[in-house]
Amino acid sequence: MVRFLIFLLFSAWAIVSAVGVVTFSNPIYVIIWLLSCLIAVAGIFFTAGAELVGALQLLIYAVAIAVFYVFVLTAVPWEKAVKKDSHYRTEGVLSLPLVLLLYLEMVVVFLLGVVASPEGKFREAIAKIGNAEVVGSVLFTKYFFAFEVVSVVLLVGMIGAVLIGRKESQTYEDDTA
Amino acid sequence: MESVWIDLLVVFLKIIVILAVALGVGAYLTWVERKVAAHIQRRPGPMVVGWHGLLQPIADGLKLITKEDLFPRYGNRFLYNLALVLALVPATLVFAVVPFGPEFEVFGYKVKPILTDVNVGILLVFGLGSLAVYAIALAGWASNSKYPLIGSMRKAGVIISYEVAITFAVMGPLILAGTLSTYEIVQSQIEQKLWYVWVQPIAFVVYMFSLLAETGRIPFDIQEAEAELVTGFTVEYGGMKFGIFPLVEWYIEVLTLSAIGVVLFLGGWSPINIPFVGFVDPLFFLGPLSPYVWFLLKVTALFLFILWLHWTLPRYRIDQITEIAWKVMLPLALFNIVITSIIAPLIW
Repeated sequence: MVRFLIFLLFSAWAIVSAVGVVTFSNPIYVIIWLLSCLIAVAGIFFTAGAELVGALQLLIYAVAIAVFYVFVLTAVPWEKAVKKDSHYRTEGVLSLPLVLLLYLEMVVVFLLGVVASPEGKFREAIAKIGNAEVVGSVLFTKYFFAFEVVSVVLLVGMIGAVLIGRKESQTYEDDTA
Repeated sequence: MESVWIDLLVVFLKIIVILAVALGVGAYLTWVERKVAAHIQRRPGPMVVGWHGLLQPIADGLKLITKEDLFPRYGNRFLYNLALVLALVPATLVFAVVPFGPEFEVFGYKVKPILTDVNVGILLVFGLGSLAVYAIALAGWASNSKYPLIGSMRKAGVIISYEVAITFAVMGPLILAGTLSTYEIVQSQIEQKLWYVWVQPIAFVVYMFSLLAETGRIPFDIQEAEAELVTGFTVEYGGMKFGIFPLVEWYIEVLTLSAIGVVLFLGGWSPINIPFVGFVDPLFFLGPLSPYVWFLLKVTALFLFILWLHWTLPRYRIDQITEIAWKVMLPLALFNIVITSIIAPLIW
């Protein structure tokens, strides 16, 4: 009962923040709403008893990822941030079908996931060996291949970043001499 | 039903005690810092207000509260004030997972001196600890001024770099303990008769470096660098609003991270350790109070060590700081993880 009330609180909080993310025009406020939404989702995970996922949500999304948005946006001058109109009207309209398609895919994946979810399968194991241990053992046995593929994707991204950010081997000509 | 109310009452009492201790001690640590700094530089420090300046923090607090509340023109008032909340709340929340001592019984009711013994405590510490970066970024942006913006960008860069290093550094002790709960980490150190600092010296050094960087202590205080940035992201704040930032950064965060450092590396509330042999307790005469005194002593020692560094060392440059983080600290931490995960299963 208490758990359900807290769940309702966090979900309402998450929905309100998500609405805030799409309705506010000032990018800094959008980031604050996004942060609030991520924290609310972490709260939902905690009420559901998934402490590890909740803590990772907090550590990876709320801190490690959202902080880069802040990092970029703090460089946005004050006058530009409060500007109302957007330059990307036509682009927005053009990309709408694709966005709808993506949302449709999300719904399909979600429904498939509901059917495939191992309801109550891990409850015993969690009670016996604990939250983090169960996630680890499932990740490194059943989903090991998918896990490794994801890490290869991350590695590719990292190599790309290093390539873009590396120093040029040849320096530009010095005009001042 | 009755037990729910007792649980709620216990949690409420714990929150009150922790908040009072955190904020009260935080305020008085300003006096400790000024005294230590003064004696390092062969000055007496505050002497006038009260015996050896003992009432100085109260006088300072009064002065800060009664100051005029200035606000920069064209700043963003909402974000300017939100930054204060975002600085104070996550930093004090970290105390929720700091275990102060072993379990004890009051009227047949078992109480753990930790607010919530959640089984991912360590992850929460770093999650909440680095939420501080939002406060600083917002403070810098909302002030609509050059110095705060530069300061907050520097600080964000430092926190991002060292967040990675500190997370990898604590992996070593976590592998040895086999748990993420702060209470269990101390328990397993007592059971293994080993402070993890003896077998994880690299991790400890990386942790201390990251602690200094995250809390913006010298040698990593480039975000406020008085000589070039005036005081960095706090330039446009006045009165008690200005006071909150150093209080949070320099005292509350240092205190929490020192406490977590004690939990991870120095055996929490356990007495002096002889590796693999046992514990020697010169404070045995204190009886059941001795674990708390030990915990307090260790945290105080770490805090004084940090003060000592602060008033001894010069400041790093920003490029040196990030270079140390990515080229020295991170590889060291990774090396430590590899060695630990190879050796630890062979022994335990």
